[in-house]
Amino acid sequence: MFVEDLRNDFYNVLLGNRVLLLVHYDVDAICTCKILQGLFKCDNISYTLVPVGGVAELKNAYEENNEEIKYVVLVNCGGTIDLVDILQPEEDVVFFVLDSHKPTDVCNVYSDGQVRIVYKDNEENIPNFDDIFRDDEEEDEEPTESGMEALEAAVERRRERRAWEERRHTLMFNYTQFSYYGKPSACVALEIAWLVSRCGGAALWAGSVSAASHVALASRPPAQCLLDTDALHRRVASAQHTPSDTSCRVVLEKDAWLPLYRSWSLEAALGHAPALAPHLRLHSHAGAARLRQLLADMGFPLQQARQAYRSMDVELRRSLLPSLEASTDKHKLPVPTRAAFLLQRPHAPPLAAHDLVYAILALIEHESIPKGEGFQLALDALESEGGLSEGARIGLEAAKQALGAVARAAHDTLAARRLHLAGPFSYFIVQEGGSGAGWLRGAGWVGILARWVSAGTGGARPVLACTSLTPTHCLLLGVPPRSHQEPRNLFGAAFEQAATKSGVTVSLDHLDSSIITLPTAQRAQFLDALTALLA
Amino acid sequence: MFAEKVIELLKEAERNQDTIDPFNDEKIRQILEEMQTLFKMNMNDANATSENKSLWTTVQVRHSALERNKRCLLAYLYSRMEKIKTLRWEFGSVLPPDVRELLSDDEYEWFSKYSTNLASYMRSLGQDIGYSGIDLTENLRPPKALYMEVVCAADYGKLELSDGDVVMLRKNSRHFLPAAECQTLVRQGVLKQIL
Repeated sequence: MFVEDLRNDFYNVLLGNRVLLLVHYDVDAICTCKILQGLFKCDNISYTLVPVGGVAELKNAYEENNEEIKYVVLVNCGGTIDLVDILQPEEDVVFFVLDSHKPTDVCNVYSDGQVRIVYKDNEENIPNFDDIFRDDEEEDEEPTESGMEALEAAVERRRERRAWEERRHTLMFNYTQFSYYGKPSACVALEIAWLVSRCGGAALWAGSVSAASHVALASRPPAQCLLDTDALHRRVASAQHTPSDTSCRVVLEKDAWLPLYRSWSLEAALGHAPALAPHLRLHSHAGAARLRQLLADMGFPLQQARQAYRSMDVELRRSLLPSLEASTDKHKLPVPTRAAFLLQRPHAPPLAAHDLVYAILALIEHESIPKGEGFQLALDALESEGGLSEGARIGLEAAKQALGAVARAAHDTLAARRLHLAGPFSYFIVQEGGSGAGWLRGAGWVGILARWVSAGTGGARPVLACTSLTPTHCLLLGVPPRSHQEPRNLFGAAFEQAATKSGVTVSLDHLDSSIITLPTAQRAQFLDALTALLA
Repeated sequence: MFAEKVIELLKEAERNQDTIDPFNDEKIRQILEEMQTLFKMNMNDANATSENKSLWTTVQVRHSALERNKRCLLAYLYSRMEKIKTLRWEFGSVLPPDVRELLSDDEYEWFSKYSTNLASYMRSLGQDIGYSGIDLTENLRPPKALYMEVVCAADYGKLELSDGDVVMLRKNSRHFLPAAECQTLVRQGVLKQIL
């Protein structure tokens, strides 16, 4: 069931009740959660917020916290699984699902009020109810008739039923074939905030960070990203014209799409930009020279490019955008500038939304900080008021290390030809024990690494990345071909089928179905099955 | 000079107006002695020479000095009493031993009486509407918000709120709860307030 009226059918229902907020570990979910928290705080809606990492954790968190709770809000989790079947809730518990993982499970879509999906995505081609559900009661009816007619009728019915089942199978296959991401949940949350007239600076900032995350992590096609942020652009523009009582504000400006360059050096940022570095082919011998050539064309002396950006020559800083555009054009690199959201703060350099995306990702998939604490720090990092928060500071530092680890791993893989060809796809295994290998355990960073490697080899083939989580288990992540343009992922369904065919005990715990964990010993067997399946 | 000691005493007390000093036994004894002598001298002069009017001025000067001493002493005691009153609101009915040492015995007795009075008053509040008293010392200023955002720092288990709801406190889960319910847990370090 879809919620039609966000204000009356979603927000007003929650008013005055205790709410259980289950939030997935990803950037978009954390931003959404920040916006919702702001709203709940204003209206004194008491809530319990539990971060969840996968289906098992979701189930666990629900079971622990379901006492006396009648309303559960799920952010970026639970949409793709049959909630009623998995959680076994009481009759009167209502789930509000705000999930950008697609496709949504049909049982959730056609639930009669217990599961309510907050946002209806028009991109989804949800099969009609009659095509996939059918009353089986007619089977038992009228066995009283006798003779040929009855037999014929029964055969006819059975034939009809088989045809219907086949049709249903095709429909469901087409529907669940690809896993992909829908509109960022934070954009929906922002819409709710707007409807209840509480769309302040903090909510706008959280919304823009989430929008930036979908661009930076290539979860959506670029054109869709632009359409998603349409409402956000308007809100930011209107907020600029109204005088605000706080000194921080969100602005939309043309900015270089280089990660963290404001707190790094220009050379490092160029070398670690997932959108640019693979095209510079930094893993090859000529790569470093090419980067220097680019800097020379831009007119930036090496000495300047290597020192911290904030102490670079003011003239050079001013000319960064035009010169970067001109020289990347000459080198046939992708355009490195785009409209980006910045948080302007008094007495401090502006903070870019896409920098914070990497910072939050680094916090929730930190090398040493446990996930739960990282989540708290990430919420802290999204604070827009009062200077750079502790969480943001730790996050920005961690993001640099993580990007460094990703870049090193990508260069190693490409330079040492560790990207193996296996029929229809390529795969590589992240080396254990290397420096920074601790960063490459979470799905987020491995995803960036896989897309980097994919882009470094032209991006025409699907790429599988494998990294070990524990000594016995490893994480497998699939990236579709041309993942930056067309991020619909076919690996989710493929993994599932390969697992049943090969008999490997695969854990499909992740909410993004293109990420699985499996025992390292059975990895080869699984990959063989996958090759056979996709060939 | 007459009344010099008492001025010293007042000046000393004036120096730190926010805190309470140890009760100055020694100085007060000296002042009382001075008053005693003044009174005796006045008595002698007044009894001895009832006709000699030249001594009357002396008697009057001594008498006003005496009265001044008395006034100042009372002021000293009164200001201390006010401070002790605030102690009750700050520390509650049991004083920490280091503060207790600063009070004289009489002052401490007054404190206990004041404390009992206040407690019985607070118990009596709101009885007509079914409450069993209100702790007035809890929120000396009106709270900014009735709810506060907290994060669990430890696995605590279940917490039952006064409205019957049960909240599961697990490490690293966030909650938005009525401030009155979680203040004790914040003090115990189970919860951490997020500002």
